[in-house]
Amino acid sequence: MTLQLPVIVERLSDSFLLNGKLFALTLIFSLPLGLIVAFGSMSRFRLISVPVRAFVWIIRGTPLMLQLIIIFLGPGLMNLPFYWPAGSTGRFVAATVAFIINYACYFSEIFRGGIQSIPSGQYEAGAVLGMTKAQIFFKVTLLQVIKRIMPPTGNEIITLVKDTSLARIISVKEIIMMAGEYTNRGLIWPLFATGIYFLVFVGILTLLLGYIERKLEYFKA
Amino acid sequence: MPILQVKQLEKKFGTLEVLQGIDFSLDQGESLAIIGSSGSGKTTLLRCLNFLERPDGGTITVNGQLIFDASDPSTQHESDIRKKRLHFGLVFQNFNLFPQYTALQNVVLAPKLIAKERSDFGADKKGILNGIEEKGRAILEQVGLSDKLNAYPHMLSGGQQQRVAIARALAMEPDILCFDEPTSALDPELTGEVLKVIRSLASRNTTMVIVTHEMDFARSVADRVIFMDEGAIVEQGHPEEVFGNPQKERTRQFLLRYSESN
Repeated sequence: MTLQLPVIVERLSDSFLLNGKLFALTLIFSLPLGLIVAFGSMSRFRLISVPVRAFVWIIRGTPLMLQLIIIFLGPGLMNLPFYWPAGSTGRFVAATVAFIINYACYFSEIFRGGIQSIPSGQYEAGAVLGMTKAQIFFKVTLLQVIKRIMPPTGNEIITLVKDTSLARIISVKEIIMMAGEYTNRGLIWPLFATGIYFLVFVGILTLLLGYIERKLEYFKA
Repeated sequence: MPILQVKQLEKKFGTLEVLQGIDFSLDQGESLAIIGSSGSGKTTLLRCLNFLERPDGGTITVNGQLIFDASDPSTQHESDIRKKRLHFGLVFQNFNLFPQYTALQNVVLAPKLIAKERSDFGADKKGILNGIEEKGRAILEQVGLSDKLNAYPHMLSGGQQQRVAIARALAMEPDILCFDEPTSALDPELTGEVLKVIRSLASRNTTMVIVTHEMDFARSVADRVIFMDEGAIVEQGHPEEVFGNPQKERTRQFLLRYSESN
């Protein structure tokens, strides 16, 4: 293992790409999945809402680190006819699945709060104008919900950036695990330097989220 | 033949009987004012007509067509109710404008969605949508808001918002336009502009049901007045009869209390 600065920076950067990939995939899938879970937990049918709420409770009530381990090792230990692909790919896919499930549950609670905070008059106004339930949701309430949930969702998104480093528990070689290899050889600064990567990434996201919030300031709801 | 006929309409919330067999009818072009104290069931009656509440008993007939019969589930299919609602328009006490849309967008949103269901929509999309926009502008001009077409609700005063809400209901061309205490959420100095719009609709023979606490307005605008108390119609007739010479003790008491508080 070379200890030259440019090599270390390159390897840290490469491994941070893995954090970025995990972040992006989690976001892309957990946001829509979170909406589905939110509708499930709000369902009039207890046969749907009770199990969904119990599931959300379990996911929010246990450490993500533990969920990573269970999702990665569980199928093999329980002799399920299903295994993750071998090698680093399998670890990464397992980590992504665990993150998606975990974040979908957190997002679902934010969405549920946002949807339930819309005054009933908005639904009634849509209904008396002959709109279908889907039209009322997509044309009337959705944007109001998005405006209301932007701050808490942004918070969750920023947490996700840093949570991606938890994937090292199943040996996904993300940036902190990579830096750890240098620490083991007596070089501590790469570990400290990982903080800069997170800071810059979160900084960019903060600007982006602020931009979206400002875009939605044209109306009050 | 009356345009609207309501028979024995009943509504319960739990054990509370909010409507206890309401009977009335309405002729084309007639404006009906419903008065009564809070909790008398006036608003629930309007909400039943607009299918925001499902009546527990009775029938609703529009233009001779039975559109709701509490004893006949075949008149209560969710998909039909959407269409049946369009016989009625409803202006809410709290306006309930869509905050993310401009005044004009609020007015044309639902007509555009309905137009997309038309079989000939594909043939002339542009023409149909432009026609709806044109009509939306005309209606907003009619309620005195031609300079506020592109204003968002939060930029408008309460009176202006309520006028947009009236325009939005008018754009659907309902057979019967219902108002649920349209000025109750407004500052006193803003009620005038809204009442003026309703008055002009009455002069154009718009068929209307107006639930209101504005007695002077009801007296001067309505063709007929219904006084409700405890979920039942106590008295109805020409405004001069009901206000000037009420036959029932309860009506007298209500009007007395009202004139004392003013």
